[in-house]
Amino acid sequence: MTISPDDDFAAAEYALGTLDASERATLAARRLREPELDESISAWEERLAPLAEATPEIEPPRDLLPAIEARIRGASPEAPGGAAVVTLERSVRRWRAMAIAASVLAGVLAIGFVAREATRQSAPREYVAILQKDAASPAIEVTVNLDKQELTVRPVAAQAPPGKAYELWIIDAKLGAPRSLGVIGDGPRGASLSAYDPAVVAGATYAVTVEPPGGSPTGQPSGTPVFVGKLIPVSP
Amino acid sequence: MTIRGEAPGERSAGAGDDLTLLLSRIAGRDAAAFSTLYKRTSAKLYGVVARILTRGDVAADVLQEVYVRIWEKAGEFDPVRGSPLAWMATIARNRALDEVRRVRPVSLEDQPAGFEPAAEDIDPLAARERSEGLTALVDCLKALDEEKRAVVLLAYYRGLSREALAKRFGRPVPTIKTWLHRSLAQLRDCLAS
Repeated sequence: MTISPDDDFAAAEYALGTLDASERATLAARRLREPELDESISAWEERLAPLAEATPEIEPPRDLLPAIEARIRGASPEAPGGAAVVTLERSVRRWRAMAIAASVLAGVLAIGFVAREATRQSAPREYVAILQKDAASPAIEVTVNLDKQELTVRPVAAQAPPGKAYELWIIDAKLGAPRSLGVIGDGPRGASLSAYDPAVVAGATYAVTVEPPGGSPTGQPSGTPVFVGKLIPVSP
Repeated sequence: MTIRGEAPGERSAGAGDDLTLLLSRIAGRDAAAFSTLYKRTSAKLYGVVARILTRGDVAADVLQEVYVRIWEKAGEFDPVRGSPLAWMATIARNRALDEVRRVRPVSLEDQPAGFEPAAEDIDPLAARERSEGLTALVDCLKALDEEKRAVVLLAYYRGLSREALAKRFGRPVPTIKTWLHRSLAQLRDCLAS
């Protein structure tokens, strides 16, 4: 096992439930990308799970089962077909054309930001992340162009549940708690990446959570991310 | 400050096997199996989420989401890694914890009907019927100091954060964190031995 003692304790506290909202969201996002951390959390959950046996039962309200069955019938069993997850190999130019086309259909959130000068001229300037849980699931595509000072988000066959909104977060150890980058599909917002070092922007984890319309009321992710991913450079 | 933990989740030796069978049928999209599973387990899972969330309306919403998730993830259940009830309770706790951290600190007002938390602290050490897994865990919990054991159990059953535990036990947050880390490491080593 290569996990650090600090991460193992964080995993233990995640399983026990004592972490605060931002620590919890950070770990929930990381476990989707870090198999060793995920395994550590699962192992702790399994160690503690027998305690649930001793929980006295409480009868839930009577009308819940029909409501749950209705939701299950409404849920599509498989990932919706249609829009395929974009491949990473395609050219930036082609991506731009597709993104413009998609913006008409899906609604694109564009956030303007002022990128600091990159330390090296040869550093990658264009990044893309496909945020998803697995290859068959709907996804959200995030692209960052440091030259054009743009961050663009595009849902690919992904749609927030009725009455809810998707909110995008940037997560990096250097930032402390997750920072909101805005609600997807909510039009351009004042949220800006100007506060972030390009190295942080390029290396951070990006995650999407389900929130009330308008975004999380607390300013912190409300729950486990439904999409998560990291940026990778795209060659022009 | 304890009352007994009543009603272990699996009342007979075959109950866990039955739930495993139900989960495998649910993984094959068997709606009747899902309805049976709900009737067999919802009071247990509601007991889990309602103690953490304490607000009946929120707990009911969360319980719905938990069962939708169980329907979606039934195929991921691995009987080698624990009992069906333990697997479902973990889903329920995680969802409830996400929600309670989002909303606000645990309030002791606004309880679900039929639930009197003032009189209640769950004590798994007093549970009369225990699975093999709970027996091993209880033996290890007994090796902790009483106060440190109480911290772990309150965190597990009531979803208290480090801050809430610090207030409850009149200790600084870093002390609670140190206690938690020592207790959890001790439990891990004890369970491995």
